Amino acid sequence: MSDVDTEAEKLTRRVETAWTGRLSRREFVQKAGLAAVGLGAGPYLLAACGGGAPSGGGGGGAKSQLTILQWSHFVPRYDTWFDAYVKQWGEANNVNVKVDHINQADLPARTAAEINAGSGHDLIEWIAPPSALEPSVLDLTDVVQEAEKKYGSQLPVCKSSTYNPTTKKYFGFCHSWSPDPGDYRKSLWTKVGMPNGPLTYDDLLNAGTAIKQQTGVRVGIGMSQEQDSNMAARALLWSYGASVQDANENVVLDSDATREAVNFMVKLFKQSMTNEIFSWTAASNNQGLVAGQLSYILNSISAYRTAQQTRPDIADDIFFRPALQGPTGKGFASEHVILIYLIPKWSKNVDKAKQFLLDLVGHTSDIVYQSELYNFPAFSKTNAQQKLFGSGGWLDKDPFGSHPANKLDLLKNAASWSVNVGYPGPSNAAIGEIFDTFVLPNMMASAARGTKTVDQAVSDAAAQCRQIFAKWRQRKLVGGSS
Amino acid sequence: MATVTGYRHRSSPAVVARRASLRSLFLLVMALLALFCAFPFIWATITMFKANADLYNPAHNPFLFNQPATLAHLLLLFQQTPFLTFVKNSALVGGAVTGLTLLGSIPAAYALARLIPAWGDKLGVAIFMVYLVPPTLLFLPLSHVVATLRLQDNLWSLVVVYPSFTIPLSIWLLMGFFKSIPRDIIEQAQVDGCSLIGALVRVVMPLAVPGIITVMVFSFTLTTQDFIYALAFISSSDQMTISVGVPTNLIRGDVFYWQSLMAATVIVAVPIALVYNVFLRRFIQGFTMGALKG
Amino acid sequence: MSIVERTVGVRRISVRGRLPERPGFLGALMVSPAVLYLLGLVGFPLVLSFVYAFSDVTTGNPNVHLVGLSTFAAAVRDPVFAVALRNSFIFTFFSQALVIVLSTILAFGLSADFPGKWVVRFLILLPWTTPVALGAVAWLWMLDSIFSPFDWVLSAVGLIHHGAHIPFLGQARLAMGSIVVLQAWRMLPLATVILMAGLTSIPQDIQDAAAVDGAGFWGRLIHVTLPLLQPIMLVALLFGIVFTFTDIAVIFVLTGGGPDNSTQVLASWAFYKGINGGNLAQGAATALFMFPVLLGLAVLLLRIASRVEVT
Repeated sequence: MSDVDTEAEKLTRRVETAWTGRLSRREFVQKAGLAAVGLGAGPYLLAACGGGAPSGGGGGGAKSQLTILQWSHFVPRYDTWFDAYVKQWGEANNVNVKVDHINQADLPARTAAEINAGSGHDLIEWIAPPSALEPSVLDLTDVVQEAEKKYGSQLPVCKSSTYNPTTKKYFGFCHSWSPDPGDYRKSLWTKVGMPNGPLTYDDLLNAGTAIKQQTGVRVGIGMSQEQDSNMAARALLWSYGASVQDANENVVLDSDATREAVNFMVKLFKQSMTNEIFSWTAASNNQGLVAGQLSYILNSISAYRTAQQTRPDIADDIFFRPALQGPTGKGFASEHVILIYLIPKWSKNVDKAKQFLLDLVGHTSDIVYQSELYNFPAFSKTNAQQKLFGSGGWLDKDPFGSHPANKLDLLKNAASWSVNVGYPGPSNAAIGEIFDTFVLPNMMASAARGTKTVDQAVSDAAAQCRQIFAKWRQRKLVGGSS
Repeated sequence: MATVTGYRHRSSPAVVARRASLRSLFLLVMALLALFCAFPFIWATITMFKANADLYNPAHNPFLFNQPATLAHLLLLFQQTPFLTFVKNSALVGGAVTGLTLLGSIPAAYALARLIPAWGDKLGVAIFMVYLVPPTLLFLPLSHVVATLRLQDNLWSLVVVYPSFTIPLSIWLLMGFFKSIPRDIIEQAQVDGCSLIGALVRVVMPLAVPGIITVMVFSFTLTTQDFIYALAFISSSDQMTISVGVPTNLIRGDVFYWQSLMAATVIVAVPIALVYNVFLRRFIQGFTMGALKG
Repeated sequence: MSIVERTVGVRRISVRGRLPERPGFLGALMVSPAVLYLLGLVGFPLVLSFVYAFSDVTTGNPNVHLVGLSTFAAAVRDPVFAVALRNSFIFTFFSQALVIVLSTILAFGLSADFPGKWVVRFLILLPWTTPVALGAVAWLWMLDSIFSPFDWVLSAVGLIHHGAHIPFLGQARLAMGSIVVLQAWRMLPLATVILMAGLTSIPQDIQDAAAVDGAGFWGRLIHVTLPLLQPIMLVALLFGIVFTFTDIAVIFVLTGGGPDNSTQVLASWAFYKGINGGNLAQGAATALFMFPVLLGLAVLLLRIASRVEVT
């Protein structure tokens, strides 16, 4: 069975390569550990020598400190690259930089703890808009303006995810984002006469039903308390012309458009899905697709990249579609992940932190490449535009082994069908709470499971949203009046 | 032959048969309960060696290796994540907290059980109230305390905080044990010339050893269970404990490294269980109910 | 020692006398480190949690600004609150009932002698010795909607359709059942160990005396052993209840409170609303509703426990 052995070996090497990228992770961890110890001891030694508190500026040759906290990227090589980049940057700028990674699900708790304690990291990267944290973070308008001067205008999806029009502040700095295309199984869709996948939600309903009847393979749109379900609910609503708020931050959820969208979701569930979708985690739709049990999912390319490693046969059969269109003729999807750095008010090294952010955008092509094209540029004139979007660039010829090589080229105009989670309004703190307490997926789920009628589900959800909006308006972080 | 009842009676065939079937039932029940507890680990042990193409195929038998077993996931756990550092950290914290717990709770429990029993219940309730605020909220103001003590991002922060949830129950457990040691024994010791403390050390403690072992087991394992405090106070990889470190490295966004996660689970659970089993065996061995009398 | 006692011989416990001999003083001394530590470390945060519940703090703005009872009102009016309250009881009651029954069987079983006892003892310890963050993740995969080995086994023996999947975590009752079983699974070893230790510290003489008096196995069990075991049992039960009532680990990992908040408990809802959602004040208010229940339970069980004492 030597062929199989070789396959297993190949797989092992692939997994390891994915992990190590350029620098051996273990080497880095060892060095980082030493650096951390040195960092920990250093300032106190300095202080003991009468140097005072370890902070800012480089007077007298003493290095300043910068600490960064962010998620463990789903592509391990990105973290490996990033940690090494940060070290290099630190040496070039006379700063001791330390990067800490945590599970992205733990970011809110960790950040809340630091804010409550009034001390912690200088830079924290969130993968969703941290709008509720605005009172405790710095206004980064200057950084955004500086970045736009150097790297072109920031994309609307990124701006609206980091700007609060009520207070006129940028509560975060977005350096990249991830689109949320539809992934479909070409072989299954070809059998039902749609080799290019769905264009509209009705396509999804009809073909998805046919595929399920013929092969048992289901549609994979979640209605669980997790992120993908949040995105899917919103994409559906927007394509029907519905939304949680309008552009002026008034709650408009209980509309006919919403009810139509929810009705559609109920139909889609009954005809093409099973009740597995009520128990999903963020990984479930990935795994279902890779297992060959789902005909269509809405996800970033993470599922596809995983498939390339674990089930290349399925990966070759996965293709992409932009946001599905609804009866309005338009289709929108949310950003799947939006990478935003915030600088808490307690940071003692604000100048260097801001410098770091600006310099990071200058390395966008690395960000894009090392994330295996998961991260897209947030600005329009970075060193990644040509490499990524240009003719013959990475989207035309996937450097990570897509067959055919141009499989990802539909993402070239992803920015035109991607919007922030609060569309058509800003990503404010109320939208954030609604997102994090899964109001929309639960609205869909209660209608689909039959525990509420569609009308009741929608009006209950709208009432919840109004309560949430009212509270945040009291705290003066959100505009609108109803 | 020791039987379930522990006594040898003159037995009629019917009684023998009944006893035999009772015994079989008993063995079956024990086996089922053991299986219930251990099944996830048995299955995890198989899963951790499964190749990806094998694991992510729902048509495959999850208990067999449809493709050759691979060590890749184990290697990933040990080489690509600082797993051993996490284990070391958890062990250090567990040990330190267990020691502190014993130090704090043995005297307190004895005092509440025997010395100041009038206060015993009231203070007991008060101490108990510590458990009424869930760590899921308590971690926020505690972060404040930790920051003030300048222990942020330091394993010592956990050593300082964890006894807050191990001590109350330990005091409770030991109170129970101390109360079930008859007063006469203590009084006798004092009659024989011991001071109060002497009586505690020389007479009571040896009798309470099962309880003390229980407290040690409990403290150590409770500290390894926690993740919310570890998450809130520590963010550097080299200071992380198992509960935080493993998910941080092996749950990346929407990608779970299942086989490596299973490996971590088995590797942590089995040695601890083995060690505890040895502990328990030594001190419970002599007390098998009725078997020695049979 | 006083002259009287020296003359008469030490036949009584001397209450008066050297300071360290006074139970009251010594007792206070022995209790104080623990009490001071707990007061200092937990007392302040406890008070702060109360304060939060009467304010409008958010995770982004921890500056306290008191707003009276409006946060409590909002917390109670929240549609998820009622569900969470009910679920807290269901989750705790059923999981701990399961634990007490199974751990009693196990503890008694393990104090008898049988072949393979060592193995059984080792195996039953496993659920508690693994950090819940890992153990629950293992269960998450075992209950997966596509890859669950349970589905595979059931369909292999023909109990369910080939290729069918049971929504262990996707259907409200099943999801609740799953978290109840997982919590029971997790707490079983600890309760068993506590009960085992309790059993072994019942002095052998009492067992022997009862045997001499003619009590059979079950007689001894019911009339001698169980009553003596009661204080320990109650401690185990009480801890299990309090721990479970305030614990979110299992729910956090397995269901996230879903589907549609049907497995949300007060503690987990407080977390999702307060920490993830940013509405810290409402989270604190929700969490505080656990207090009266736990306090009542604690007092009740303590009353019962204090009546049972070996003399």
